[in-house]
Amino acid sequence: MADEPNVHQPKTDIAPGYTFGTVTDQIASVVLTRRTPFFWYAAFGAGLVLLLLFLLAVGVLFVKGTGIWGLRTPVMWGFAITNFVWWIGIGHAGTLISAILLLLNQRWRNSINRFAEAMTLFAVACAGMFPVLHLGRPWLAYWLFPYPNTMGVQPNFRSPLVWDVFAVSTYATVSLMFWFVGLMPDLATLRDRTHNRLARFAYGILAMGWRGSARHWSVYETATLLLAGLATPLVLSVHTVVSFDFTIAIVPGWHTTFLPPYFVAGAIYSGFAMVLALAIPLRSIYGLQGLITDRHLDNSAKVMLATGLIVAYAYILETFSAWYGGNTYEQAMVWHRMTGPYAVSYWSLMLCNILAPQALWFKRVRSKPVFLFISAIVVLVGMWLERYVIIVSSLAQDFLPSSWSIFQATRWDWATYIGTIGLFLFLFFLFIRLLPMISIFEVRTLLPSAKVEEEAES
Amino acid sequence: MTAQGLDFQVSPELRADLKKWRTRSLAIGIFGALSSVAGLLISPFQFYHSYLWAYLFVVALAVGPLAWLMLQYVTGGAWGVIIRRPCEAAARTLPLVALMFLPILIGIRNLYEWSHPARVLADEALRHKQPYLNVPFFLVRTAIYFAGWWFLGWYLNRCSAREDSEGHAAVHGKMSAISGPGLIFWGLSVTFMSIDWVLSLHPEWFSTMFGLLFMASQGLTSMAFLIALMVLLYYRRPMSDILTPRHLHDLGKFLLALVMVWAYFSFCQFLIIWAGNLPEEIPWYIARLNHGWQYVALALVIGHFALPFSLLLSRDLKRNFKLLASIAVFILCMRLVDLYWLVAPDFRKESFGLSWMDFTAPMGLIGIWLAYFLYQLEKRPLLPPNHPHLEEVLEHGRE
Amino acid sequence: MIKPIYGLMAEFETPTALVAAARAAREKGYRKLDAYSPFPIEELTDALHLHHNKLPLIVLLGGIVGGLAGYLLQYYVTVVYFPINIAGRPLHSWPSYIVIAFETTILFAAISAVLGMLALCGLPMPYHPTFNVPRFALASRNRFFLCIESRDPLFDRASTIEFLETLEPREVSEVAP
Repeated sequence: MADEPNVHQPKTDIAPGYTFGTVTDQIASVVLTRRTPFFWYAAFGAGLVLLLLFLLAVGVLFVKGTGIWGLRTPVMWGFAITNFVWWIGIGHAGTLISAILLLLNQRWRNSINRFAEAMTLFAVACAGMFPVLHLGRPWLAYWLFPYPNTMGVQPNFRSPLVWDVFAVSTYATVSLMFWFVGLMPDLATLRDRTHNRLARFAYGILAMGWRGSARHWSVYETATLLLAGLATPLVLSVHTVVSFDFTIAIVPGWHTTFLPPYFVAGAIYSGFAMVLALAIPLRSIYGLQGLITDRHLDNSAKVMLATGLIVAYAYILETFSAWYGGNTYEQAMVWHRMTGPYAVSYWSLMLCNILAPQALWFKRVRSKPVFLFISAIVVLVGMWLERYVIIVSSLAQDFLPSSWSIFQATRWDWATYIGTIGLFLFLFFLFIRLLPMISIFEVRTLLPSAKVEEEAES
Repeated sequence: MTAQGLDFQVSPELRADLKKWRTRSLAIGIFGALSSVAGLLISPFQFYHSYLWAYLFVVALAVGPLAWLMLQYVTGGAWGVIIRRPCEAAARTLPLVALMFLPILIGIRNLYEWSHPARVLADEALRHKQPYLNVPFFLVRTAIYFAGWWFLGWYLNRCSAREDSEGHAAVHGKMSAISGPGLIFWGLSVTFMSIDWVLSLHPEWFSTMFGLLFMASQGLTSMAFLIALMVLLYYRRPMSDILTPRHLHDLGKFLLALVMVWAYFSFCQFLIIWAGNLPEEIPWYIARLNHGWQYVALALVIGHFALPFSLLLSRDLKRNFKLLASIAVFILCMRLVDLYWLVAPDFRKESFGLSWMDFTAPMGLIGIWLAYFLYQLEKRPLLPPNHPHLEEVLEHGRE
Repeated sequence: MIKPIYGLMAEFETPTALVAAARAAREKGYRKLDAYSPFPIEELTDALHLHHNKLPLIVLLGGIVGGLAGYLLQYYVTVVYFPINIAGRPLHSWPSYIVIAFETTILFAAISAVLGMLALCGLPMPYHPTFNVPRFALASRNRFFLCIESRDPLFDRASTIEFLETLEPREVSEVAP
């Protein structure tokens, strides 16, 4: 190991300057040797505080019931479902980067897939909280699954809510497996690099004895490709099923046939926004600009722009179809959204989701990380508002004007929502501290020296 | 292997082949067209309906490649350079496709209920839609679609010609700059085209998925056509020196992806309408899933999805020229079945049926279009000789 | 008597050298050999003739079992075990059942992929003789190793060392069992 050049090379180094050794050391040192930066303590601490807030909110919920939220007839799906859809959408970019871009042979993904997958996992964990807490009696959540029981009843398989149970639990399981399989070779690296006995034991157990055998790599590569091939339709199906929660119901503003692809596009949109919102600060704190380069940010911004345009297409068509379809309730719904009690949310979401991201057409905006960071935050806010407007406004003003009512979020609504952001930050920074945030072995394959030079005769 | 060492001009033997194919397709086209004209005299109603769905197929053949052309300028990639010239040739056929719209214009009263003022007055739903569904506005919209497509095709072709004559620097950045907005125009125009030409046949019904379904169908139709064409070209120089299984594999992946996307859109639309069971929505499916039409639907599930999907999963198959071309041709046939299933049940509510004009109309339209397309194809070299990444593209295939 | 060994291991500095060495060893007639690298090397798969593995078949079977299980579960519950009229939908509401059947297909296939991969690799395996070579820790960093195992019929401690030395490795070491 003494033959290695300096680990802490100038931060502006682009990938050509790296060797197998420096790539390994730079990424592994974040976990193993480098001093934990103050930023990490600050972010992890903030996450911890918000996580405590979440636990408090959940504790009060368990004692008092869902009445502490702003749920009143007819709006029985308030913040909880909005947050569920928002979080699970954010998770989708991780799977997209790790699976679809792998299938498309887009090798630039190799340095952002790991933390994007971790983001998926933690976003799904946050998402999963909400429907369970929303059940009212969360300790009976296992009733959602079909199992032989003394009550003699079974779930209604025609209901999209039951589909959701299967879709989200499958998604969580497959994402976890995909992430873990991707980690195995890097866990072996950490096992071989650490000097701490406890860490060596822990990484060793998790690495399962990975030794980089060519036989293993061959099976491993097949497995990764197959998992990517399975995860790709899965990720589309998950948000499709989430959209079925709405569109299978015949509620005005929900029941429209293009909702599945529109939701999928919106999910990828917010997911890439989250990738940018995490990658931009992380790479400057840890000096990883050579690995997460401006090209990664540019490509992510382009994906954001493209999916944002699909979302814009959806708004246009939604409005046109409400008029063209001629259904009184659909027309009233669009009108209520634009001018009713939720008009402020509606027009802010138009601003955040459609107008603001048009700046991404310009190369000058895409090449400035600060602008990208801001637009990512704007899109995250916009996509949250979008789900809020879809869910709450359709329920608040339904078929019967006599039952209309306005949804008012309570402080516990906000506490639970902000609390899951804490849960996300907590898990994410724990991950940054304990596991390599960039896939070391996949970045090694990006180096020019990884290419086998064929001899003339072969 | 250097790009300079290769000549991308259409070789004399290919030119002879193209001429042969052109004559044949023109002969089939003229036969189809003449018999369809005879059909027009016997039953105008049947003629226009057969003409409409056959015409939609030809539109997909001409407009779909335009979308691929713009997509490859936006995203880059070796696959795009390989199919660029056929896509440009297809875009150059757009004036002919616009001309072919004239019979629909003439037969508009035979096709669209909303074009009869008396019926619009009698029907509340049609009265509501009248500001959109009326003949003058319909014509304006159609003119906008064609003008936009024609402009995009013309501009991209002109840039490409300048690249050939003046070198890449003369057009650098221009094609990708127009392709981004161009794709937006394509998406919107195909959506509203599908609403105008197809969805309004059944004016009470509406589905927001319809535009997306048509975009996917256009992509699928044109990709299947391009694959079949590339394999045909492969047997003669210059393509026999250039095309490799790796190139074909890339195109095959698109075919697989679009087969899945088509199935996904179709299934979502069906499930949502089936589960909702609303009186303004479900009749569209009732017409298409009863009276013999359910067998057509079943054929689509198997032939348009299950079969090509399972076959295209195989990597070896996507690299086999003949097999991939056969699947592409099969998909093209299923596209015709799908269009028939989308359009015809609105006129044949009582039971499934086929008229002889449902064969002659596609023969006429596709035959004439194909002859014109092949004529356009041989005008230019089959690969852009001044493309800046041409060597990488050729190298990509050899890896 | 000399202690038995697991095999002989040669260390290389570049993937190119490792692939060349693996090819040479195959040509020499060695069959029980394995290469170790910090990242997957496509050419190595060629060099060691490792092309076909059964994983796609395992995943396919897993997917089929999952899909059938998911669909039949729903059919059994809604048609046989707990038939109940919900909003006038038929008991056998097949369009609705496709969604869960799809999810279980993916779930079972993905689980088969992961478990199948571990099984085909023989993992988890906390102890392996190769770990006895001190420099082998670099196989997960920046070094490339070729190991010829003693159970190979052509294996002979002296001549195999001699052969490995001809491949110009950084060093050759014995692997304790």
